Formats: sequence, C-alpha cells, structure tokens
Amino acid sequence: MATVNETKSNQQTSETKYLSEFYHLPEFKGIDGYKKNGGYVDLEKALKMQPQQIIDEVKASGLRGRGGAGFSTGMKWGFLPKNDEPRYLLCNADEGEPGTFKDRMMMEKAPHQLIEAMIISGYAINSKKSYIYVRGEYDESINTLTTAIQEAYKAGYLGKNILGSGFDHDMDVYRGAGAYICGEETGMISSLEGLKGQPKLKPPFPAVQGYLRKPTIVNNVETLAVVKYIIRDGAAAYKKYGTEKSTGTKLFSLSGNIIKPGNFEVPLGYPLKDMVYILGGGFKPGRKLKAVIPGGSSAPVLTAEEAEKATLDYECLAEMGTMLGSGAIIVIDDSACMVECLANLMHFYHHESCGQCTPCREGTGWLDKIVHSILSGKGRMQDIELLIKIADNMKGKTICALADAAALPVLSFVTKFRDEFEYFVREGKSKVKGVAYVADHTH
Amino acid sequence: MSPITLIKCTINGVELEVKQGKTIIEAMSENAQRIAHYCWHPGLSIAGVCRLCMVEIEGNPRVQIACNTVITEGMKINNTSAKVRDAVKWGLDFHLINHPLDCPVCDQAGECGLQDQYMEYGKYDPEMAERKQRKRKVVDLGPTIVLDSERCILCSRCVRFTSEITKTHELGIFSRGDHSEIGTHDGKPLDNKYSLNTVDICPVGALTSKDFRFKQRVWYLKDADTICNGCSTGCNTKVYFNKEGVFRVKPRVNMEVNGHWMCDEGRDTYKFVNKEVRLLKGQKFANGTWQAEMHAGAAVKDAHLALSQASGDSIAVVLTGQHTVEEYEAIVSTFNDKFKTKNVFHWVNNKESFESFDGLLLRGDKNPNTKGLLDVLAKHGISSQWKNLEEGLKSGKITHLVVFGPENLPVFPDLQQNLNIFATAKNLIYFTSAAIPQLKNHASSNQITLIPLKTYVEKDGTFVNFQGKAQSFKRATTIVSEALTGVEAAQLLAGSEIRIKQVTEKQLFTSAHERKDQVQLEHRKKNEFVFNRGRL
Amino acid sequence: MAVVTKNNDNAWYLPGIFTGLVITMKHLLKNLFNKKQMITLNYPEEKHEYSPRFKGNHILTVKKDGAIRCTACMLCATNCPADCIKITASEHPDAQVEKFPIAYEIDMLRCVFCGFCEEACPVDAIRLGPEWQTPGLNGANFIYDINQLAYRPALKGGIQSVLDDQDRHKAGI
Repeated sequence: MATVNETKSNQQTSETKYLSEFYHLPEFKGIDGYKKNGGYVDLEKALKMQPQQIIDEVKASGLRGRGGAGFSTGMKWGFLPKNDEPRYLLCNADEGEPGTFKDRMMMEKAPHQLIEAMIISGYAINSKKSYIYVRGEYDESINTLTTAIQEAYKAGYLGKNILGSGFDHDMDVYRGAGAYICGEETGMISSLEGLKGQPKLKPPFPAVQGYLRKPTIVNNVETLAVVKYIIRDGAAAYKKYGTEKSTGTKLFSLSGNIIKPGNFEVPLGYPLKDMVYILGGGFKPGRKLKAVIPGGSSAPVLTAEEAEKATLDYECLAEMGTMLGSGAIIVIDDSACMVECLANLMHFYHHESCGQCTPCREGTGWLDKIVHSILSGKGRMQDIELLIKIADNMKGKTICALADAAALPVLSFVTKFRDEFEYFVREGKSKVKGVAYVADHTH
Repeated sequence: MSPITLIKCTINGVELEVKQGKTIIEAMSENAQRIAHYCWHPGLSIAGVCRLCMVEIEGNPRVQIACNTVITEGMKINNTSAKVRDAVKWGLDFHLINHPLDCPVCDQAGECGLQDQYMEYGKYDPEMAERKQRKRKVVDLGPTIVLDSERCILCSRCVRFTSEITKTHELGIFSRGDHSEIGTHDGKPLDNKYSLNTVDICPVGALTSKDFRFKQRVWYLKDADTICNGCSTGCNTKVYFNKEGVFRVKPRVNMEVNGHWMCDEGRDTYKFVNKEVRLLKGQKFANGTWQAEMHAGAAVKDAHLALSQASGDSIAVVLTGQHTVEEYEAIVSTFNDKFKTKNVFHWVNNKESFESFDGLLLRGDKNPNTKGLLDVLAKHGISSQWKNLEEGLKSGKITHLVVFGPENLPVFPDLQQNLNIFATAKNLIYFTSAAIPQLKNHASSNQITLIPLKTYVEKDGTFVNFQGKAQSFKRATTIVSEALTGVEAAQLLAGSEIRIKQVTEKQLFTSAHERKDQVQLEHRKKNEFVFNRGRL
Repeated sequence: MAVVTKNNDNAWYLPGIFTGLVITMKHLLKNLFNKKQMITLNYPEEKHEYSPRFKGNHILTVKKDGAIRCTACMLCATNCPADCIKITASEHPDAQVEKFPIAYEIDMLRCVFCGFCEEACPVDAIRLGPEWQTPGLNGANFIYDINQLAYRPALKGGIQSVLDDQDRHKAGI
C-alpha cells in the first residue's frame, strides 16, 4: 500500500503500541501484573517533582484532549485559579459518542494505568479528590476500576500521605445513568452534583467554577493516561510521535462496514486510508469505500475521495471541515443508504438532547421528523433545503455542543450526498437499497 | 466591595456608561433598548436557555446571548443587524414549531411573549410540516395554578422561582429533549403563598391562574397602579379592571419594597372591592327595624345632626389600619376640633400574629397603614386604650360611636365579636365599604346607621408601610359611586357642605348599551342541557 | 329637484293615461298567462330564498358530536361594531376543548349584520346564514341565546363546523 504523500513516506503499516503496550497481557489488569510491567514507577518519580514542573511538562508535550474537542491539556490546567481552594479532578469516562469504544478498553485492560495517571494529574493540579465518571452501561469497567482503586488504596497509592510525599488523594468511581449529554463536561458536573444532567452556562468555565462551584478539571480517560507516559519519557520523547502540532499517539476506534473493526493505536498524522485498508482489513469483496465519519457521530462525514487524502491529525481533518473528535472512525461502504444513516444519527440526537436550549430541543426533533418523513417516502423537495436551514440555525446557538453535533452531520450528509436525498424524495425509495421505510414516529 | 467603576460601551450606536459587571441584557433593559428574551428575568438567576437575546459583538464572528455576557470596556454591541434579526427569527421559530395554536382559548393571548415577539421577529411563513409534539393539557398543579405543557416553552422561570425565591422546590423539569415538561412531584402540589408569581413570570400561557382563568380576555382590562392593602408590607401593585369591576392584581417592580413579587393573599384584595360584596347605599336601623335604603349623603347628614346634639366625651371613634393617612387626618382632626373628643380608638385585628413575618413579603399585620394611623394619633396626642371603649360602652358613658370599619373582612377574625360590642352603643354610625350582613338581624332599641365607604382602588391617598415608607397612590376606578371617602365623610359629619361629584351607575359600569338582562354566570343552569348535549 | 312648469293650455293628458294603462295591462296579462315568471311573491305563504351567502340570522355551528363549536375566544365580541355579542366563558371538563361558552347571546335588534363576527372567528363557529326573517311580537325576546343560535328547528339539529378539533388533533396541528 503506497503512502499518501512524500513527507510521510516513513509511515509504518502496523500499530504503534505506546499506551496499549501491555494491553494484551491479562495480568496487566491487576496491581501486581501492572507493577511488574513498569506500573507506579512514574508516580514515585512524579511525586518527587514540583507540581508546576509536571504542568510545564504536559504543556511542553503538546498533549491535546482526546475526548473530542482537542483542547490543549496543559493550557486547561493552567486556567485554574491560583488560590488554594479544594480542587477536583474529574475523569470523563462517559464514553457516549456513537462509534467510540477506546476508553472502555483502557479501563478494562489497564485500570491501574488510568489510576496512576490520575494520581499524577491530581498531584500536578493540587487536587485531593478525583472522580471517574463512568458510563452507566459499562458494567465491567466499573467493576474493574472499583477493584483496582481498592487495590491502590491497599498498596498505599491512594489515601493519606501517598508514598510518604505528604500528598493526599482520594478517588471514587461514579456511575452515570446513561445520558449522552453527561459526557459534556458541565453536564457531567451537574450529574455528579446530583442534579439533572444538563450542561451549565459558560462562563464560568469548570476550571474556575465547576463541581460544587469549585475549580474542576475534566479530562478524558486517554488524555489522563497519557500524562503517565509524558512523565516517564519526558515531553521531548513524547513529541517524537505524531506531527508537529498533533503530538503523540492516539487510540482509534474503527467500526463500520470493514473486515477488522477494533481499537488501533497509531501516531497522529497516520493516513486514514491505511487505517481503513491495512489495519481495518478493507471491505467485503465487491464493496468499496463510500464515506468515512472520522471522529465520532458528530463529526462531519468525508466522502471517499476526501478520505483517501486525509491523515488522522487535528489539523488535516479541520482543514477538510471535519474533526478528529474522539477518534471513532465509522467506515461506510457503498451498500449503505446515506439517508438511512442520517436518520439513525438524527434519532440518536433527538433522543439525547437534554431539552434545555430551545434550538437544540426543538431542532433535533424537527430534523429527526424531517429525515424520517423523507425515509418513509413522504418527503418534499423543500425539506432538503429546510434541513440545511435548520442545521445552520442550530449551530453555535446553544449552551453546549450537542446542537452542533446534530447539525454538522446534517450539513455534511445533505451537501455531500445530496443526490441520494433528492432521489429519495423524488422516487420515494432509497437510491442504494431501492426500498422505502415505514417511519417510526413512536419515539 | 470595591468602589463602583463605570465602563463605556456602545449599544446600537448609543454610547453608554454602565457599572462594571453588568450583563448586556441588564444594560439594555435599563437603558430602554428593546431585546427579545424569555428565560431572563431580572429577579432570577441566569438560565440562558431560550437563546433569543442574541446580540452581535464587534470582533466576534458569532452572535452571543446577551444575558450571560458581561460588558467589557469599549464593547460594541448591536442587536438590530440582519444577522441578529435572523438568529432571533429562527430562535423564535424553534419556540413555535411545537407550540399549539391555542391562542383563542389561551388566557395569555393579548399579553403573550410569543405573540409580542412574533409581531416583531416572526417568520410568517411556517415551514414546519411535521406532526407537533403532544403533551399534557390542563394539568392541575395545585390549588391556584393550572399548567398546559404544550404551551410551555421551558424557559424554566417558574422552576427557578420556586427554587430561588420561595425555596420550596415544588416545580421541576421532567424528561428530556422535546418531551421535557414542567411538573410537580407526586403528592407535592405547587402550594405556597407566592405561587401566583409563576403565572406572572410565565412568558406564555402555560401557567394560568385558576382564579382569573377565563374570566376576561386581557384586552378588555385596563390597569392602574396602586398599593396593595393586604398587609403592612405595602407591595406596589397594579389592578386590572373594566366596567364590570376589578379582576386581578399583579405586582409592580419596586426594589425597595417588594422587588418583583407579591403574595397570593395580596392578589385576593380585589375581591372585597367588587360590587357584589359592597355596601351600596346608606341604611338606618331605628325603632327596631331597618328603614328603607337612603343616599349615603343623606345618611351622613342624619349622623351629623345626631352627633352635633351629643357632647364631647359621649362621642367615640373607632379606626382600623385600613384607611389612608389623609382620611385619618381628616377624621381625627374633625372629632378633635369639632366634636371635642379624644376618644379615638385603634381597632387591632389578629393581635397574636401582628408582628409575624414570613421572611419574604407576608407580614402578620394585615393592615396597610397601621403605622400611618399611629403617626396621626400620636400627632394629635391621642392614646386611648381599647378597654376604655368597652368600659365606656358598658357604663353608657359613650353613647355615640362612629366606626370606620375595615375593607378586608377576612383578616378581621374578631369582626363579629366587636360588632356586638359596637351595637351596644345607643347610636352607632358605621362607615364601611363591605356589606355587613352580620348586623342585618340586629334587634335592639339602639340606632344604627350604615354608610358606604370607598375602597382603596377608588380613592387617592397614602399608606405608610411597616418600614415607615409613605407610598401615595391614585384612584384606579370607581365601583360604588355613591360611597364616600373617609375625607368626605369627615367633612360631612362636621357639617360642611361639600360637593361630591356624582357619577351615575350607567356612566361607569355599563357601557351605554349594556342591558340588565344580559347573561350572568348564574345563567349557567338555564343552559345546562345545551352544554351537555355533546356528551349524550 | 327642479320644478318644471309646463304650459297647461297645450297639454294632452289622454295619451299618457293610456300608455300607463297599456303597461299595467301588459303586466297583468303576462302574469296571468305565465305565472311562473311572476316576480311578486305571496308573502307570507311564499318566501324568498336568498343565496347561501346572504348575511342573515346568525348560526352557531356544532361539532360532530353536536356540542357547540365556539371556544369562547371572544374575538367576535371584540370585533363587533354594534357590541351586540355577549359571551360568558367557562372551563370545559374535556381538557382538549378546555374553554367553551356557557352563554352566548346576540342582541338581534342591535346587530347590523355586518358579518365581522364571522370573519373574526378562528374556528368557523359563527356564520351569518340565509334566514332573514326576525319577526316577533311586541315584547318578544330578540336576544338570541345558544339554544336559538345553534339548535333552532330550522337548523335541523345544528350546522356542522368545517373545522373540527378531533381532525386537527389527528393532523397534528
């Protein structure tokens, strides 16, 4: 398989196991196996450093949030107010984005990796209490984490005076109740506070006023786990992976119509094409690439031509008008009807809108109804234009990004695959599958 | 607190100086700039959910909400640009796509936020062709409020009101997405003493008051500013009335007294103002029977004759805290100077709870002007004890008793008991705005004269509230034109000839073509079979 | 009108008289032999039927179940230039109907039959029908109530409104 362009000719064609180095070892799950493979060494190293040193190191590494927004982690930590209030560290393990399943693997295969990294991060931002907010459906992750935390307490890595450094840290697992919106950081904070899981108005940002109105840092599982490796290898070594602006490796969740779906760790800047054809094993015989959603369901879709050119880093995807998001690559082959795909997504966002802001509450429902009426063969030609208008007016008008998440796929699906939508409206049946569907309005 | 710093900003091309820390919407509403909004309310926290108060800030490519954006130095704000108007137009359309077309049956029609904004920002070309979301209608939320979930735009004002102002937390938003509904928890109805404020702050017709429901269309009502006479807090209010009477009371903003709110009890103060419960004519009880009704002026003239024959100490006056300062002044000085009596007594109702206070607005002293009365009495050096009155009546020392009775009877639990005491006077002259059926079956040789008084919505005056703050108000309407104000009564009692402008009943309460036989609510029975016809 | 004086000396009266008689006879004969085209009606035995669009006596329409269609929104009363409509609203036990008139009265003597009420009505509850007779003896009640407006015998059990709530709800409006 030829590489995409000359500057990246040295791309390897297999995974780069950096975070996931020991994930294949079953013993890595327990504290003993973890310590045997280099566990909790970096915690000792970190506790000897100054907190500010750790923050500087993270800043220097160029680590960007792996949860979706891709915001610089070091910069986020730097927003904390200087005064010494109780601060909270929240690990966002409410992995709700359709197509994403990397955090689950990390928590189930290597709970101690996350716990160690969280203690280091907690030490860096001077937080004495941290929570891991785990998606409610992740039974096994919750069990593994709970056991691991107990083990860590027993071994003295959590609790009072960790390893004689004078640093105290407590950690708890909080089980979510199954709402996509609680994966949004302020929604998660509301939920953790015992309120309805609805995002809060920003400003104030969580780093200033978060959980219980105290400074709070919310980071994704993968982001926090990386901190351990930055401490182990140093920022400079970490920066060797990936591109200049998108440093490091990243776990990608590959799913869709491909032979070998799964989680793959590759350095950022890896060609999307290789991901699909080499790591993902390509398509079933006779099928070919039609579209790729590169960053979870809320990322705008890429057509086959765009996907051939794309590389998996923040900048290239942003240039193409989409985003890396949580790294959930959903591959769509030519057997799929794009109207049906969009209907599926719209059903999801309609169902998951928290109902706080009007444009999102009403808009997601409206989009869902329109797409389903097209799907049932009752669509009107002006509905296609209307979809774009509605999505345009939802975008950027709400408290959180859920409205954008619903609007962006609409915009990209309708503009990039307009012929399929028009065919559906005109003929009353799918261009690909040749059938219409009975729209389900019961939801 | 650091000293208040003023910062400069430009809103719609107008340069303004605002206090630091103000949000754009606060600055705009304080400077009379129009801005569409539903969820923002100056008395509540910021929710930022209606997304209607969009403004364009120079240097920011996206439109921002004005309610959660603090003004910074030199900010250039605009909410009249095409971009903002388009954003508001769509924001409004999102509110309306699932809103039912209930305007004909909705009580809010005419003062509805959605109607108002639609006139200015409406899309006028509906594109919603899908089925609307159905929700519950006519939900009984509690003893005072009815909810219509379909009309609700989920601005969460009412929820924030119960959690921030009353702190009773009855209301919440249940479900999510476009299934979201306002509701109460099982067995916990919305039942607090301030519940009707939620109706006021509801920008649409989702919450309606059971008391006012379907009584009038709001465009048939006029409003006038007045002061609530329900208790000594003296909330600033507005009464809504038409030719048929007064229909509701709503609060006015006065941050020094009541803020944005008023209590539910105060909203009932219109009920004793309307004709049905009023004393309309003067009437006299003499020689053991009630005589024919007479004009109020004639009745006062009689009273004047009776009083001028009595001597100083045999005359006593009873006052309640329900009248205005001007009236007290006129009455007390008349009796002081003209009739030379110092027997002026203060009738204190519900003594036990007189000093109580619920922490928000409601005070135990259910008179609007106790402080005013005490001031006037002190000014004239009067310090009569209530027991002197009782003794005086018992011993027959007091023969002529003039009582200015209360308007708001329900807050006088000792009414019957005191009326019995008053009736032992040889000649009782009872001024009252309320009809007193309790006196109707009276039988003794004593003489009683009932003379109609005007209520607080029918006169100008001043109330002094518990803080000692004097609040003047103007006449809102006239309901019983024959009734006298306390000032007029005092002047007539003193024997002066005054000219009272008479307004005929017809001029005031019935338009020229209203007929006596027009249907009243009682006619319901007559037509009952018609209404049940559909369900036979 | 200008008064025209003629010189009476030269006047011929008879031709004018005969012309008039001829016209009268012409109509008499025409009507005698062609009764069908006769314009005059034998009122009150015969009555003229106006077009259905004639603005005569008011009709309150009913729903499919026979209940009154009016929602007591009072727009007709607000719009009425003669102020002859008086409505008393009340709460309906059915939440879907919510509001209905317990009394709806029109003062027929005051009404100017302008049809504004019909135009203001958002739910096709009031119409001006083709009936035009409003007779009554001295002292008769010219204030029509619901019973008369919606269920008078001439309406044969009520005129159905074109706008039905049930249909609207089914259509999701």
